[in-house]
Amino acid sequence: MTHDDGLPNDPEGIRLMIHALVDGELDAAAALAVERRIAADPRLAAEHARIVALQGAVTRLPRPDVSDAFRARIAAIGMTGTEQQEQAEATESQRGAPSALPGLIAGAGGGQRREAGIRPSQARPSPRARRFGSFDWRAMAASIMISAVLASGATQWVMQSGVDDGFAAAVASGHRRSLLAASPIDIVSSDRHTVKPWLDARIGVSPPAPDLAQDGYALIGGRVEVISGRPVPALVYRHREHLITLVAEPQQDGKTTQPDDLSSGGFSMVHWSDGAFSYWAISDMERPELDDFVARFRKAAV
Amino acid sequence: MSERALAERFNEVVLPHLGDALALARWLTGNAADAEDVVQDACIKAHAGIAGYAGGNARAWLLTIVRNTSYTWMARNRPRAMMAVGDLGDLDDMAAAHGTSLPDEDGPEASLIARADTAALEAAIAALPQPFRETLVLRDINGLSYREISAMLAVPIGTVMSRLARARGLLASELGRAS
Repeated sequence: MTHDDGLPNDPEGIRLMIHALVDGELDAAAALAVERRIAADPRLAAEHARIVALQGAVTRLPRPDVSDAFRARIAAIGMTGTEQQEQAEATESQRGAPSALPGLIAGAGGGQRREAGIRPSQARPSPRARRFGSFDWRAMAASIMISAVLASGATQWVMQSGVDDGFAAAVASGHRRSLLAASPIDIVSSDRHTVKPWLDARIGVSPPAPDLAQDGYALIGGRVEVISGRPVPALVYRHREHLITLVAEPQQDGKTTQPDDLSSGGFSMVHWSDGAFSYWAISDMERPELDDFVARFRKAAV
Repeated sequence: MSERALAERFNEVVLPHLGDALALARWLTGNAADAEDVVQDACIKAHAGIAGYAGGNARAWLLTIVRNTSYTWMARNRPRAMMAVGDLGDLDDMAAAHGTSLPDEDGPEASLIARADTAALEAAIAALPQPFRETLVLRDINGLSYREISAMLAVPIGTVMSRLARARGLLASELGRAS
């Protein structure tokens, strides 16, 4: 008997198709064709019933228990290395706190000049660092990580002191990390009508995202930064070979401030507020260029 | 990616699938105690390689590591069992040859299969040649698709299908004989 339904006509072929039907691997058209064959042939129907019965029996076999002890053992594998990270972050937040280093915040400084400035902070444990115990190896691990950061030769970041230093330092380190990451953006789009809903869906906040491509500043996407434990939207613009990260923190007080220069070292940073958002623009461009970007953004965002 | 993000990813990718990992290791090594050792080794490897997990089916990703770890473990701890596996090519030929017989010639009634007791079924699965057993376990116990199994075992989908059909055919006739 031959069929014109596109299915194999040899017994082995149709048998495999019945297995595929039971396994849910067939699309609707093929499944329909196989079901018709089964309905027309008692031998195929018997085979189908056998496969269904066997699969049901195998599926019902008791499965090994995942004991709490075993799950805890595996979860412990995941924790390896995390504690060192927490220690390093505790040290980083120390660096970001004005009280720890008045007037000087070194994120990823380059060279010995900075190193001399950071060392005192290591000697002074922050409350958070203390919480993670007094084991010497932790302090050692943290100092190894700081040395690694220093040795990486990343551009140094020194800022004026002020209440927002912690936030600014976090914005700066977010920008630096983004330059090292495989992609500086989570949502790739030059279309603000894509970027804004994406940010809105993620964190319920979407800042103005004008496309300034005509001015030479192309919107290339966005990402979510986590600063001071809160998610904040970040837009990424490109100007020639430079990336600009624009972090927009929703404002509570509605205060408006003029652009304020927070640049130093290798990065330029400008901070301003428009009443709805507090903006932080950071780039490795020269200051005048960043000022130009800020001026155009403010004009377009109004 | 930071250590912390990697640790979070490990928790999201690995921990939900420990039951599947244990089930696969149990059927590949033959017992539950060895399965825990194998899965623990596999999770250490998964943790080391978590940065390379590129999204997609986390269960399939973890099970691939579990499978490879199982065979490494078997080769180290039970070299004799590994030697008994035989030549894969022969088995696939066998599977193809078996399929040419008409389906109802030696198949037991479906109701007989449905009534088979757990011990008999487990013994029948344990007795399957390894390539058939792992294909059956990946499909019917771990619930992977043909395509995922094909990628994991690096064999064509047709081979996955014929191994699965062969495995089920062997199980059905074994259960029919036992009853």
